[in-house]
Amino acid sequence: MATLPAHDMGSAANAFRAEVRTWLAKNWTPENQAAHRRKPFKERGWDAEFSKLMGRDGWIGVGWPRKFGGQGCSVTEQLAFVTEMANSGAPVQAHSTGESIVAQALFKHGTQEQQDEWLPAIRRGERSFALGYSEPEAGSDLAALRTRAVRDGDHWVVNGQKLWSTGGDKAEYIWLAVRTDPEAKKHAGISVLIVDLHSPGVTLRPSLALYGKTFSAQFYDNVRVPATNMVGAVNDGWKVITDALAAERVMIGGTRMAGIERAFDRLTEYLKTAVVGGKALRNDPVVRDRIGALAADIEIARQFQMRNSRLIEQGKVPLHEAAVGKVFASELQERLGQAALDILGTRGLLSEDAEGAPLGEMEQLLRHSIMGMIGGGTNEIQRNVIAQRGLDLPR
Amino acid sequence: MSDPGSEVAAGLTEAERDILRKSVRDFLASAWPPDESVENAGDAAATAALWRGMARQGLTALGSGGDGTGTREILLVFEELGRAACPAPLLGAVAANLVLSRQSSNAAQALRDDIHQGKAAIALALGAFDGDPAAGGIVLHGEIARGELRFVEGAGAATHLLAFTDAPVGVACIAAGAPGVNIRPTPGLAVPPFSNIVLDGVSAVRLNTARDTLEETAAVARLACAGRALGAAQRAFDLAVEHSKVRKQFGQLIGQFQAVQHKLADCLIGLDGARLALDSAAEARDAGNADWPVFASAAVAFAGPALRDVSIETHRALGAIGYAEEHEAPRHFRRVHADLVRFGGAPRARAELADYLLGPVQ
Ligand SMILES: Cc1cc2nc3c(=O)[nH]c(=O)nc-3n(C[C@H](O)[C@H](O)[C@H](O)COP(=O)(O)OP(=O)(O)OC[C@H]3O[C@@H](n4cnc5c(N)ncnc54)[C@H](O)[C@@H]3O)c2cc1C
Repeated sequence: MATLPAHDMGSAANAFRAEVRTWLAKNWTPENQAAHRRKPFKERGWDAEFSKLMGRDGWIGVGWPRKFGGQGCSVTEQLAFVTEMANSGAPVQAHSTGESIVAQALFKHGTQEQQDEWLPAIRRGERSFALGYSEPEAGSDLAALRTRAVRDGDHWVVNGQKLWSTGGDKAEYIWLAVRTDPEAKKHAGISVLIVDLHSPGVTLRPSLALYGKTFSAQFYDNVRVPATNMVGAVNDGWKVITDALAAERVMIGGTRMAGIERAFDRLTEYLKTAVVGGKALRNDPVVRDRIGALAADIEIARQFQMRNSRLIEQGKVPLHEAAVGKVFASELQERLGQAALDILGTRGLLSEDAEGAPLGEMEQLLRHSIMGMIGGGTNEIQRNVIAQRGLDLPR
Repeated sequence: MSDPGSEVAAGLTEAERDILRKSVRDFLASAWPPDESVENAGDAAATAALWRGMARQGLTALGSGGDGTGTREILLVFEELGRAACPAPLLGAVAANLVLSRQSSNAAQALRDDIHQGKAAIALALGAFDGDPAAGGIVLHGEIARGELRFVEGAGAATHLLAFTDAPVGVACIAAGAPGVNIRPTPGLAVPPFSNIVLDGVSAVRLNTARDTLEETAAVARLACAGRALGAAQRAFDLAVEHSKVRKQFGQLIGQFQAVQHKLADCLIGLDGARLALDSAAEARDAGNADWPVFASAAVAFAGPALRDVSIETHRALGAIGYAEEHEAPRHFRRVHADLVRFGGAPRARAELADYLLGPVQ
């Protein structure tokens, strides 16, 4: 493989990596992969059955603390795990939001009953989630959200509109940020509810995003949600949300990286032998210089990811560090996509199903990069975080 | 991340490294104070005094390996030198220590002792191993050296010149004052300036050294210079961040302007990336990882453009106050650029990565 050498993550992580590979060889066979690729692009990556298989064999929540049913793996082991899964291209999106964002929030902010109800089901791959933060008036300024929840007996009654929820058309539940006190200051009157997307009064409108998958608008019309589904105290949701967003940033950095490394490996592998117009591409000095620069950037992005892992392992919360990793990885993905188009020329525009496409995923990689720069808080917002939290610059 | 189950690698523990960093920083703060460093840089006596002080700190032995220090510690000390804008002739000493630790002759032992005691100061010329095709080189006929070497640092204060050569492969050790040695400073962005050294049939002690050792030593020198650039860039950046918290324009702190915030945020990304990658490459060498040169290439390929950007953005944030040569920042600007362009700079590092990934050009 034309790839940078792997970092030695220590013998425990290396052994764990081998275990993951063995499992994948048995359960993510070439036949499974071929079947998966026959699905339309927008359906790929999300496979409820595969998530249940992973859950059955204990591969969901490997990094969770043991008391919540996890394997208590170290973060470096988790990193090895995430990288292996991404390299294999196995579909993990049906459970990943629940596993990495909702569960993390429940560990910290959930009641005993909530932990008992949700965590085992998430771990078995039986609960899928979307995130319901954004609204027409609340994008970067998330705390401006207006979707209203009003208490009525044992329920909250929700009215409002959400936008751009990834996987909203496939998920069973949504992690919903709502306003419970319109009189309080912006950040003070917010709460978090877990809402069944099949509840009466929920209307969903998916649209196709530039990267080829869907996100969905939702309309909430007197949707009744059991009060037991509120995570964290009433009006205390901002803390829950910011913790969840920090976890999301780490996750975005990590999944981006894995995708980038895989695409880069494929590109360099192709370049080793490609001859175009009678010339070997690998001998082109411009191509070599671009590839060298990208390889260096990939190493840096790995370093940022490993730093996040070390911090988490030390019990710290990477804040501006996670922002650094997310900014760098998403912008690297964009550079890689652009470089691939320059190197491949017009053929680089062809998508993977097209006849004569040398490396069809490259144009998709470029379209996808924009998601990484906007989702989970735009890179401008991340730079605000780096400047104000990392460097302590005045607001 | 080290593997607790593996062999004990070279290098200190994290806590020991913190102590080393603090002691070097404190030492340099008093031995090479920032407000005197411009005048001192041009003063051979000041540099000689500094060098003796460094010997007392044990820093002149860096690279010998006897004290448990490894590549990470070399990097750490160079970072501190960069921070302090200090031109101590440590590059030559480290290279000499790496080479001489494998030599058993009495002459080699004696030179090593002199370096450790601060009596000898070495100017290093990598010649054919430099990576910059214009760096020149020498040819050895028996014990006689001829040739021209360019971009040599620290020649002014040196007692000896250590020149790597591939004709034939080995190292020539030459007394700086020997007849036929002609040293001419070549002013430029680097301060103190590099020198051109012409050797016109000069008597040399020849140290037979394997090509691998020379390549490895040259690679460590390259990493060390990148580390020194990092220290300089970080220091200038720290000054810019402090400045943006006190300087007011249009009735507000300039650090409140988002244009300034985002540039400084990008600088932090560049600095952190360079530091993590350089340290990880050094750690890989200390752990005996055969892939360490690949990690070193990646670190240098990233650090080159990233730290030069940091240096430029630092100056923009400081405005005119940081543009006067009496301010500290210009020294760091010079250091960052001088150290990152040498040895083939980032383009060579990118080419090495392409060689690794795509195979050599055919
Ligand atoms: C593919 C995709 C998937 C998504 N998935 C989800 C999801 O699952 N759930 C969900 O809730 N949301 C999701 N989002 C929405 C995402 O969180 C928002 O798009 C994002 O927070 C930015 O909000 P916005 O699009 O309204 O842009 P705006 O906030 O309107 O920003 C527009 C521009 O202004 C800049 N800007 C805004 N404020 C500042 C500031 N203070 N300083 C500097 N610049 C600023 C932004 O950086 C941006 O460049 C998704 C978005 C995408 C693209």
